[in-house]
Amino acid sequence: MGKTEGSDGVHDGTEDGHQAGTVVSARAPIGHGVAWRLLASIFLFSSLVTLLTTLFELYMDYRGQIDDIVNRFEEIETAYLPSLGGSLWSLDTDQLQLQIEGIKRLPDMQYLEVREIGRSLKRRVTISTGDRGVGPVLSREFPITYAESRDRNDEQTIGALYVEATLSGVYARLVDKAVVILISQGIKTFLVSMFILYIVYRLVTRHLVAIASYLSRFNLSQSDPLRLSRSRPSREDELDRMVGAFNQMSSGLREVYQQLHEVNAELEEDIAARRKAEEEVTRLNSELEQRVRQRTAELEASNKELDAFTYSVSHDLRAPLRRIEGFGQILADEYSTKLDERFSHYLQRIRAGSRDMSEMIDSFLKLSRSTRSELTVEDIDLSDMAAKVVARLREKDPQRSVSVEIAPGLRNRGDRRLMDAVLENLIGNAWKYSRHNKAAAISFGCETSEGRVVYVVRDNGAGFDMNYLDRLFMPFCRLHRPEEFEGTGIGLATVLRILARHGGRIWAEGAIGKGAVFRFTLWEAGGQDDKP
Amino acid sequence: MTNPRILLVEDSRDDAELVRLADQSLHLHSELVVAEDGEAALDYLFRAEADPPAVVILDLRLPGMGGLEVLRTMRSRPQTRRIPVVILTGSERDEDVLAGYDLGANSFVRKPHEFEAFRALITHLEHYWVMTNLRPPV
Repeated sequence: MGKTEGSDGVHDGTEDGHQAGTVVSARAPIGHGVAWRLLASIFLFSSLVTLLTTLFELYMDYRGQIDDIVNRFEEIETAYLPSLGGSLWSLDTDQLQLQIEGIKRLPDMQYLEVREIGRSLKRRVTISTGDRGVGPVLSREFPITYAESRDRNDEQTIGALYVEATLSGVYARLVDKAVVILISQGIKTFLVSMFILYIVYRLVTRHLVAIASYLSRFNLSQSDPLRLSRSRPSREDELDRMVGAFNQMSSGLREVYQQLHEVNAELEEDIAARRKAEEEVTRLNSELEQRVRQRTAELEASNKELDAFTYSVSHDLRAPLRRIEGFGQILADEYSTKLDERFSHYLQRIRAGSRDMSEMIDSFLKLSRSTRSELTVEDIDLSDMAAKVVARLREKDPQRSVSVEIAPGLRNRGDRRLMDAVLENLIGNAWKYSRHNKAAAISFGCETSEGRVVYVVRDNGAGFDMNYLDRLFMPFCRLHRPEEFEGTGIGLATVLRILARHGGRIWAEGAIGKGAVFRFTLWEAGGQDDKP
Repeated sequence: MTNPRILLVEDSRDDAELVRLADQSLHLHSELVVAEDGEAALDYLFRAEADPPAVVILDLRLPGMGGLEVLRTMRSRPQTRRIPVVILTGSERDEDVLAGYDLGANSFVRKPHEFEAFRALITHLEHYWVMTNLRPPV
C-alpha cells in the first residue's frame, strides 16, 4: 500500500516537473533566446579570432624587433668593430670606454664588454659597461681583429666584443601593443556584435517574437492574417515566404476548420433530429404499449363477457328448445293418430328444427368450452383415440362402408377430452364429406417435416375450394350448403382453438371433388406444459 | 299412507308441466309437488316437516334465491338435512356441478334435450329415489 503511494508520489512529481518545464520553455523570455545565443557565439568566435590574430601579429612584431636587434648587432659589427680594433691595439682604454658607451646608447643595448685576447695572461684589458645578465637577453660575441697594413691577410684577432641586448624593452612594447590590440579588438568586436545583434533583432528576432506571439494567440476563428511590421524589402525574402506559407496554411486550415464546423453543425442537427425522432418513437412506443395494455385488458374483459354471454345464451336457448321438443313429443305420442298426415309432417319439421338448433348450441358450447376449460395434459394414444372415433362413426352410420387406415402407435401429450374433440371433428368431417364417394377412404397418420411430427387426416371426399381456405377455420362459415352436408360450421373453428392451446397449428389443402388433407402439429415450441 | 311425494323446484311452468307429463305418461305413483321458487320450496319443506317429500328435484336457475342457496339452507337445517336432493339443470358448467356436490347434493342430472331421454331420466329418478332408496323411518 505504502509502496504504491510512494510510486504514485514520484510519478506525480515527475509529471509536475515535466509540466513546469514545458510552461517555462513556452514562456521563456525572448532575451534568453536566439539573440543572446547569437551574440554569445559571435562574441566568442570573434574573440577567438581576435586573440589568434593578435597573437600572430604580436609574434610577427616580436620577430621584427628581434630582427631589429640582430640588424643592430650587424651594424655594430660593421660600424664599430674596426675602430674598436684600433683602440684595443693601442690599448687606449679610455677611448674604448667611450666607444662602447656610445654603442650602448643604441636601443636595447644593455651590456658591452671588450676583452683582450692573446698577449700575456696577466695584463689583459677588459672594459665593460652596463649590467650583465639582467632579464631576458640576446647576446653576441664578435672577434676584434686588427691589421697593421691594409692587407687583410695580416689580420689577427686581438680581442672580443661581447654584446648583450635586453629583451625587456621588446616585451614591454609587445605587452603594450597587445593591450592596445586587445582593447581595440574587444571594443570593435563588441560594437560589431551589438550591431549584428541589432541587425538580427531588427531583421529576424523581433519578427520571430511577433510570429511566436501571433502563434500563441492563434485561433482558427480569428481571421486576421499574420503580418510583420517592417518595411518590405524590394524582393521577397525568407520571412516573407514563411509568412506567406504560414498564412496560406492557416487560411487552408481555417477553410478546413470552417468545413469541419459546418459538417459538425450538420451532424449536430442530424443528431438532434435523430434524438427527436427517437424520443418520438419512444413516446409512440409507450403510448402503443399503453394502448396495447388497455386493449388487452379490454379484450380480456370482453372475452370473459363473451364467454359468460356464450354460456348463458347457449344455456338459456336450450330451455325453450327442450320445451318445444318435449311438448312436440307429447303431441306426437298422443295426437298424431288423431290428426292428419300433414300434422305429423309439420310436427316432425318443428322437432327437427329444434334438434338442429340444439346441436348448434351444443357445438357452440363446445367451442366456448375449448377456450375456457383448463387443460389437463397427459399422455394420449392418438391412434387408439382415432380408432374409437371411427368405431363411433361406424356405429352411427352402419350402412356405410369406408376404408379407414390408422397409423399405429401415434402418441403425444394433450388434453384427452379436447384432443378427442379434434379427432372427432377431423375424422368426422372426412367421414361426412366422403359420403358420396362409393370407395370412400380415410387415413390418419403422421409425417415428418422440418424435424417436426405432423399429423395428417386425409380423405377422398368432396374436398373444398382452396380460394375459401381462409374461411375454413372461421366459426359459422361453411363451404357447403346444409342440404348437401349438414353441420354447424363450428367444428374446425373449435379444432383450431384446441390445437392453438396445445401449441400447435392446423392447415389444409384440397380441391373440389379431390378430397381434403388436414395437417396439424402439437407443441411446436417444444413445451408440453401449456398454460392457457 | 299417501303416495310418496316429489318436490320439484322449477320456476318455468312449462318445464314443470313437462315433468308432470312425463310423470303422468309413465303412470308412476308418486305425487309431484311444484314450487316455483326457492322461498316457496323451503316454505313447503318446513311446513311438511312431519311428512317430507321422498326427493327434491332442484333447478339451479331460480328467480330470487338460487338453487344452490336452497340446497345450502336445506343442508343447514336439521329437519331438511336428510331429504335427498337431485339437481336437475340445463347448466353444463363444471363449477355448478362441483358446487352442487360440495353443498351435499345427492345427484346432479343434466336435462336431456330429447323428451324420450327426459322421460327415461324421470323414471330412473323416481325408481331410485322414491321406490328403492326409501328413507328409514324417523
